[in-house]
Amino acid sequence: MFAEELKTMQRLGWRHILLQVLNFASVMASGLMIWKGLGLLTNTESPIVVVLSGSMEPAFYRGDLLFLTNPPQQRYNIGDITVYKIPGADIPIVHRVLETHDVVPRKSKNKKAVVPNPEDQLVLTKGDNNPVDDIALYRGLKHLERKHVVGKVRGFLPYVGYITIAMNDFPQLKYALIGGLGLLALVQRE
Amino acid sequence: MYSLYARVNNGFAFMSSCLMAMLAAIALSSFLFTADPKGQLTIFNFKVYASADAKADSRFQEIGLARFNLTADLTPLFHWNTKQLFIYVTAEYNNSDGTHNEVTMWDRIVRRKEDALIDVVAPPKYPLRDMRYSFKKSSPVQFALKYNLMPYVGALTYGEAARTEPQPFPPKVGKL
Repeated sequence: MFAEELKTMQRLGWRHILLQVLNFASVMASGLMIWKGLGLLTNTESPIVVVLSGSMEPAFYRGDLLFLTNPPQQRYNIGDITVYKIPGADIPIVHRVLETHDVVPRKSKNKKAVVPNPEDQLVLTKGDNNPVDDIALYRGLKHLERKHVVGKVRGFLPYVGYITIAMNDFPQLKYALIGGLGLLALVQRE
Repeated sequence: MYSLYARVNNGFAFMSSCLMAMLAAIALSSFLFTADPKGQLTIFNFKVYASADAKADSRFQEIGLARFNLTADLTPLFHWNTKQLFIYVTAEYNNSDGTHNEVTMWDRIVRRKEDALIDVVAPPKYPLRDMRYSFKKSSPVQFALKYNLMPYVGALTYGEAARTEPQPFPPKVGKL
């Protein structure tokens, strides 16, 4: 099956293989650059996330792709859909803001004169499909702090992220895909 | 060059770029629909109770509960790229610290155009609670009916359909 491919590889020699490896690496590098560049533009660590749970159904289902921004120095409003990550919890959660509370920094003496910093805002979230708010998910916190919030959802693309869920559920698929792509990059003639 | 693999690859690439272009066109088209429907929001039976709050270790906390009368025709918001509307009633006030607070009092998901003609008496769903446990010295509270349009593909948009006049918090009436 691979006899012909092996023959062409021998014919083309090491130079060709190295060139293909370089091509592959440049594709990977540009992908990473786009990802990190988007992260810089939107001020969030992950500008695109995949929905992993059904707690926002029927708006978002598992596998839907969400585009996030996290504008600095801007308050979050009720109704915004946030993606947040509680320290110690391994997966980020996509839920809607139910309450927002601005707070003044504790150290200031003259409380009323200080303008609250949007970065000190506290929020309470709830999944549209959940009967109760998220306090039980906050691991002891009473409110979500802004530093836990990864970003707010601005755009939506259905289903596209399901491939990553499939790859997580069936790791064989992941290895097959990566291996297949690598092999293709090596044996491709043009 | 003309192998089966190349043909399948080309066909698939062309198909997926067509699909992407179509999705982008649909997402952009929803910016052409600029309906801004307005409705009526009246509030009655707005009461403040004292309540033992699980969050605050048996300390009594004031909670506000209210009923709303909502009438709004949100059907113009349903166009071909509308998956659902999320409508919600918010309370906005400044507490005794002078900081801004917003709390959702009621919400509903509207999935069909037939259900977007809203005329409901909304019972209390979420209580109004403050970080200071009390609404004393709070500014008057203002209620608003807002909506979030969630598309099949594209950007989420927000709007406001009604807003009440600011009204002071009523005095506490009892325990709950």
